[in-house]
Amino acid sequence: MINWALFNTEIYFLITAAGFLLLSLLPKANAQRDYITALALSAIGIGMAFAGINQQGDMFAQVYRIDLFSQVFKVLLSMGLFLIICVCSELKSIPERLHPEFYFLLTIATLAMMIMVSSVHLLTVYISLELSSYSLYILVYLRTEHKLSLAATLRYFIMGATASAVMLFGMAVLYSFIGSAYLIDIVKNLPGIIDRPIVVIGFFFTLAGFFFKLAVFPFHFWVPETYHGASNQVAAYIATASKVAAIALLIRIVALSSGHIEYSAKVLIYLSIISMTVGNLSAIVQKDLKKMLAYSSIAHAGYVLIGILSMNQAGYAGAVFYALALLILKFTCFFVIIKAATDGRNPTIPDLAGLHQRSPILALALLLALFGLAGIPPTVGFTGKLLVFSAAIQKGYFALVLIAMINVVISLYYYILVLKAAYLDEPDTRLPKLSTTMPVKILAIAMITAIVTAGLFPAHLIQIAETATAVFI
Amino acid sequence: MDMQYANFPYLSTLLIVCIAGLFIILFLPAGEKIKIKWVSAIFSGITMVISVFLFVAYDKNVGGFQFVERVSWVPSLGIYYFNGADGFNLPMLLLTGIVFFTGVLSMWELETRVKEFFALYFLMVIGVFGLFMSLDLFFIFVWYDVSLFPMYLLIAVWGSTRKEYGAMKLTLYLLAGSALILPAILYLVNGSGLKTFDLVALMAPGTLTPFQQKFAFIFIYIGFGILAGVWPFHTWSPIGHVAAPTSVSMVHAGVLMKIGAFGVIRVGIFLCPEGWRYFAPLMAVLASIGIVYGAFVGLTQKDLKYVIGYSSVSHMGIVGLGLSTVTVEGLNGAVYQMFAHGIMTALFFSSVGYIYDKTHTKMIPELGGLSRVIPVAAFYFILAALTAIGVPGLASFWGELAVFIACFKVYPLLGVLSICGLVVTALFMLRVVQQTCYGPLKEHHARIQDVSFSLGIPRLILSVVIVFFGLFPSFMFDMIETASSSFFKGLP
Repeated sequence: MINWALFNTEIYFLITAAGFLLLSLLPKANAQRDYITALALSAIGIGMAFAGINQQGDMFAQVYRIDLFSQVFKVLLSMGLFLIICVCSELKSIPERLHPEFYFLLTIATLAMMIMVSSVHLLTVYISLELSSYSLYILVYLRTEHKLSLAATLRYFIMGATASAVMLFGMAVLYSFIGSAYLIDIVKNLPGIIDRPIVVIGFFFTLAGFFFKLAVFPFHFWVPETYHGASNQVAAYIATASKVAAIALLIRIVALSSGHIEYSAKVLIYLSIISMTVGNLSAIVQKDLKKMLAYSSIAHAGYVLIGILSMNQAGYAGAVFYALALLILKFTCFFVIIKAATDGRNPTIPDLAGLHQRSPILALALLLALFGLAGIPPTVGFTGKLLVFSAAIQKGYFALVLIAMINVVISLYYYILVLKAAYLDEPDTRLPKLSTTMPVKILAIAMITAIVTAGLFPAHLIQIAETATAVFI
Repeated sequence: MDMQYANFPYLSTLLIVCIAGLFIILFLPAGEKIKIKWVSAIFSGITMVISVFLFVAYDKNVGGFQFVERVSWVPSLGIYYFNGADGFNLPMLLLTGIVFFTGVLSMWELETRVKEFFALYFLMVIGVFGLFMSLDLFFIFVWYDVSLFPMYLLIAVWGSTRKEYGAMKLTLYLLAGSALILPAILYLVNGSGLKTFDLVALMAPGTLTPFQQKFAFIFIYIGFGILAGVWPFHTWSPIGHVAAPTSVSMVHAGVLMKIGAFGVIRVGIFLCPEGWRYFAPLMAVLASIGIVYGAFVGLTQKDLKYVIGYSSVSHMGIVGLGLSTVTVEGLNGAVYQMFAHGIMTALFFSSVGYIYDKTHTKMIPELGGLSRVIPVAAFYFILAALTAIGVPGLASFWGELAVFIACFKVYPLLGVLSICGLVVTALFMLRVVQQTCYGPLKEHHARIQDVSFSLGIPRLILSVVIVFFGLFPSFMFDMIETASSSFFKGLP
């Protein structure tokens, strides 16, 4: 007997998606109508996700697990969707008649990620991962400037297909040795066979799909091009919600091996170091703001890995908190980008010149978001870093933390260059003041408050993250 | 260590006053420049009064930590909002209060982007106050970064002379320092096995093994040492000070560099006394190189602010030398020198700022005979120079004296070397005074206005403090002694 009440959030998002599909059938395009509908529906979605936060249970022959961990991530994902839709009020980079499809795909991608965070069976994991990926491939392509988006989509698609092929192979290997695709069976049987090289290969190949999503080295090559080619809103979605889901699943999978595979931690350490170093060093030379943020995502993937590879509860909780921090901070950056590039094109760093005069509130939001990404207190970004670093120190990875901190200093350099543009440089031609309407101001103040309060008063959030990850120990 | 809980949260009040000032400034319209300045002056004035009150109200007979406030902040990590005042941080709080207030007054004539300037300035000082009063490692680190990150904009927007380069270099250097401090803090917290960031709990003898103390100390020493201008990590300091606007130089050289030395004491020496003993000779060598090097490089500078910048490197070397002696006298002298140097540098930068505002140059060869046109402004400048030389009767004399007495017992050779460095400092300070205040007057400077009484208030306050603590050093020494001697008694 299936308790369908557990599935409420997912059903709601499915119905929402169907609603947009119906909207797209209407003969007349109306951007305003679509926007308001999407905003309202996604706001209700957050409520649905919150309502289900304390639910627990298994569904569909135990391939689908509802626990605090999955529910917390569903709240984060629905918040991510809502925030992205908030900044879609001027969706100039996407043809107007395609707006309902755009919202449809966003909702489907979110739904897929929600299924992903609840999956405890290799097959559900794979299906949900593919569903979200395919939605994103099309979303990247939906842009008026087809030349840019086509290149980005192709690159994204080819890399994504390769990664999922590798992952499928890894899953097949694991299955062939264990004889079951339930994660719980894998946990039970892995310790006995883990010293066989083929099993280790299977394990890491399985991780490949998530490394691709999270943009960990060596699966990061799609990121800069895709951010560059996708419309600003879609890039924002990939940078926030998609990363959150990847972190969730990576925690679930890595937790399988905790304490059993010694060299799995070692491999992850190297991947983490390379990711953050490559990401930060490449970000320094970027002129395009979105590309810079893309490389910084790669670096952040490295920091998150530190929490995950520590394989203790503090590390998993830290990674969950870090996911929240990334969601808030990356979104705030893209929010400013979207509002500053009113024509929907890709802004370069010099385009931000004089932002402090054009819109002081947006400049302040950008300042805090960038310092947050750099991990400077008192922002949520610092708390996230503190949690993952202290988890790593508990495991004795002092050198790793030191390298990560040096990376933080490197990253500060390019974040400051953006700040310099926003606060110091004067634009060549006098640009008009940005029209900051009331909703924009409210959103900016909300993000500023979120960044600072979650940084100053993290006790409650940390507790939630710890309770949510308690199942893995 | 004794702890006296506060019946009223005086220390938090200090922070709350600053935060309230910050918010009022943020909500005033940017056009209301005069109002913003008045709000800044009033709120910074209140903090100065509170810091003086705390200094006087501290019961020296009882000692230990007083005015203690302790609230659990993040229970699962063992983070506490934990403040307390002792003989080490009260002089620093007093210093911050004085420099903060006089800094606001020194920027009275600022016209560009006034609101943003004072908002960032307040934010920086919140970090400084917070760091000095905090007894929790997490908060010490948080306040450290809070005091640093407004710095980039403060220098890059309102500064002069290669300001963007100076600001970037300063920010990256100082945050590189924090990159060493955070792993070391986490290492200590984890190594103790106590799961707490509470500094007093971690201080208990036997909590940390000697190896852990040595290992962490070197990271903490270099991390905070960068901010304290320890040679060879000092190169950000002269460039940054030259580039910064007047009040930022005042706070930066006057207070922020003290954060570095204070961090070495509070985190390094308090938690890792074994590491301190082990690395003391290294600290002594670096400190004396700093003293001599700063003096000789200062000798060749043509820019007034560079002169002060390098003399700061030299003077902070004296602080480092005092710490490296591992004696009560050395520690006393070092803290005294931190206070005296803070006030002195603030006076220096404030005076130079005034001269620069009026003559539009800070190049020594372009100045001359200033004491004839602006005698009062020149007086403050000369007083600062005399303090820098260490003339008896002025504050920094006592700090240097205590440090060198301690140093001759432990490292006689380095002591002699450093004294030679001081002679060079005296030489170049006198040369600067002679070339700017005396000698032939440059004609285009003949009509500049002398400092009025109201604009001179900040310098007056600083001068009074210098003379007061120069004549009555025991007020300060007694205070520091309560902390340093009991700290040594507690050592195994």
